Amino acid sequence: MSETATSAAGGWEALARSAAVRPDAAAEYLQQLLIFELDGAAYGLPVERVREIVRIRPITPVPRVPEDVTGVISLRGEIVQVVDLRRRLGLTASETTRASRIVVVHGGDESIAGLLVDAVRVVLSVSDELLRQAPSETGAVEALCVHQDEFVSLVDLDRVLAVDADDQ
Amino acid sequence: MAKRRTRSRAGRKADQEFVSEAEEILERMRLDLADLSEQRAAGGNVEPELVNRLFRSAHSLKGLAGLFGFEPVTDLAHHVEDVLDGLRLGRIDMQSPAVALIDRAVALFGTLLAAVGDTEAMEAAGARVLELVQEIDAAKQAPAEPVGEFDTLDIDPSLLRALTEYEEHRLRENVRGGRHILLAEASFPLTSFDDGLSELSGSIRDLGEVLSTLPAPGDACQSEIRFSLLLATELTAEEVAAHVELPGATVRSVLAGTSTPAAAAPGAGVPEQASAPVKADSAAPGTSETTPAGGEAHAGVESLKSISGTVRVDIRKLDELMNLVGELVIQRGALGDLVSRLMREAATARAGRDFAKVHKALDRKLRELQSAVLEVRMVPLRQVFEKVSRVVRRLRLDLQKDVRFELRGADTELDKLIVEDLVDPLMHIVRNALDHAIEPLEERVAAGKDPEGCIQIEAFQRGNHVVIAVSDDGRGIDLDALRAKGEACGIVAPNESLSDREVLDLIFVPGVSTKTEVTETSGRGVGMDVVRHNLTRLGGVVEVDSTPGRGATISMTLPITLAIVQSLIVVAGDQRFAIPLTAVHETLQIESSDVQRSEDRELLNLRGTPLLLRNLAREFDMPAERADSRSFVVVIGMGDARVGLQVDRLDGQQDTVIKPIQGPIQAIRGIAGATELGDQDPVLVLDVSAFLSDGPARREAA
Repeated sequence: MSETATSAAGGWEALARSAAVRPDAAAEYLQQLLIFELDGAAYGLPVERVREIVRIRPITPVPRVPEDVTGVISLRGEIVQVVDLRRRLGLTASETTRASRIVVVHGGDESIAGLLVDAVRVVLSVSDELLRQAPSETGAVEALCVHQDEFVSLVDLDRVLAVDADDQ
Repeated sequence: MAKRRTRSRAGRKADQEFVSEAEEILERMRLDLADLSEQRAAGGNVEPELVNRLFRSAHSLKGLAGLFGFEPVTDLAHHVEDVLDGLRLGRIDMQSPAVALIDRAVALFGTLLAAVGDTEAMEAAGARVLELVQEIDAAKQAPAEPVGEFDTLDIDPSLLRALTEYEEHRLRENVRGGRHILLAEASFPLTSFDDGLSELSGSIRDLGEVLSTLPAPGDACQSEIRFSLLLATELTAEEVAAHVELPGATVRSVLAGTSTPAAAAPGAGVPEQASAPVKADSAAPGTSETTPAGGEAHAGVESLKSISGTVRVDIRKLDELMNLVGELVIQRGALGDLVSRLMREAATARAGRDFAKVHKALDRKLRELQSAVLEVRMVPLRQVFEKVSRVVRRLRLDLQKDVRFELRGADTELDKLIVEDLVDPLMHIVRNALDHAIEPLEERVAAGKDPEGCIQIEAFQRGNHVVIAVSDDGRGIDLDALRAKGEACGIVAPNESLSDREVLDLIFVPGVSTKTEVTETSGRGVGMDVVRHNLTRLGGVVEVDSTPGRGATISMTLPITLAIVQSLIVVAGDQRFAIPLTAVHETLQIESSDVQRSEDRELLNLRGTPLLLRNLAREFDMPAERADSRSFVVVIGMGDARVGLQVDRLDGQQDTVIKPIQGPIQAIRGIAGATELGDQDPVLVLDVSAFLSDGPARREAA
């Protein structure tokens, strides 16, 4: 039930504890998260919402959209909007680098969108055990996840994609 | 060990061809034979169509085998054909043992086909064929039908003599079956008799079996020709006459049968033959039939005619095809760029020129492919019209309004995808007209109008567009009420000056409607904005025209197809945009001094008419253009509206496949989609109608 990179005593203890409390410990829910970076901090997205990850490519700006939407890219024949996740989460905008990536995600209702991130790190399996409450109720971060020495901010994807459309 | 005669490769290939074609025919025969056996066992009449089909199959098999030189097959097929012919014409009775032999013959055919290419097996099978053929000959009987059986028919003997053997047989069968034999007669003008005749046949065909169509003797005047249709049916002459809508046509009984009319049973013993193709995979949901408009099969003797010529196609396959062609178009564009580059560099110039030749040929073929695929997707508007008619009929009763409904241009064709999305908007507009526009009876009479209102839907093609106009002769749109509503909604300032056209445009703002109550039939005034939105998505425009007291017309103008369009590429604010060429009327180069002002609008003098100008970069809040006094104006418009789009420069024409923009933002005003132009960056495609219909930005609903 711990992270796949099982740590020492703490992990085994937690396992024993959880086995005592929950009879279905064997069927522990493990989430897979895509961990990426924004402005030096770690963020996560459920892997099942991620369609693919592509390198940075020319983004065509689109008029009459909120600042958060950088523009559109071409993805094997499909035209997809790209959301600048730094901007969207209220961080300072910055130039893209070679490490920048566009994470293509599934929105609700069969739509897709691209999220511009500084870098992509790894995919992690985490259990509910490691989740903590988010610092703010209203932000786009829905929970924090403990990973090694960091807090990974789990992004509320639906909230991120609910970009205000009346800025037209 | 079977001794195989060595065949050349070509020979073996021919064998394969024969076998596969013959197998198809044989398979059909097996199915039909199974049906035949059932009907024989039941002891009743056998469908004449079934026998006909079997006969034709045997005939085809015979011809095919003859072509490929397989004598045993030809021989056997010939005999089977004979038996079936006898059956058809009533010379051989259904219960005759000869019919049972057909089963064995078909089995033997199978053996023969399996033996193709194997000399020994062929010989063995051949021997069996000879045996069977002799049996068949023995089993066939000569007919001995009584002559003069038709004496009881009250019919001109010359007519009887004109019947073919098959028709006689059918007549005999029907008389035996106790059906009424009727004679329908009508005269038609020489110049158009085929229309009239097919109309008559059409109205009769569903009522029974048309035994024969004959030119009739009688005193027809010089410019007319008279026809008689001999009909066998369960209905009486009066009932048939009631169905026939042709003035001057008569129906009389030639022989009273013993049938009592069943509940509208069509066809005396001739069942509804489905015109579905033999393969069973056509029942998938979302199939589209690519028959020409109105090509439905009629039950009855002629049903098989419509089997050939149409194929059911899953609409998804059409889409795939379309997408592929679209991708090809993009690659062709990229190839074109590459060719130009090669030709420019000295080192590759020669190769480049050769390349260019091939590219040109490819280009031609691709364009042809494009048109062909597009054509497959084209579908007449008739289906939409029919749907709307049905709704109108219901509504007419509900609303108790006397309204005439006219449809014109049902044959106008549109891309199937557009047509699907048209139904809702069209329905809404028509409902509106019925509900709001056409006045109640008293009002109309008081206004001196025809008590019967009229709603007309007309569709026609105009260049690269299709226009669908819904006109009514109702009270027209109340401009004052509309304006008042606009003010009430806060969209229009109280002392703002608006042209009539701008007031009419208010209809498209959500929440505005001139009818104060919400009615059940057409709901709130949220309709027209949705209509416009839907049409915009399709690349079309909606326009309203109204004359108070006289009526109004709502026109929808749509591009004929969504798929691949030629676009004009323009540059504004350092970014490229694509404008579908179908919306472009002309392009002009102007100096900044040419721009005139009126209030807060910019105008251009276009041959004496003021043309409203919109600066694209400014509309899109893009960084100011270079300080060049020179710029270009693209005159865009659909229908009658015109606007001049001011841009920095023009960048040629391209084939574009307009794709929807996916993502969190649903609809971006002024942008219809995006396209790729060979190199990677997507280019935004403008939504022309947004520039035509917008007033200044404050026109948005509060």
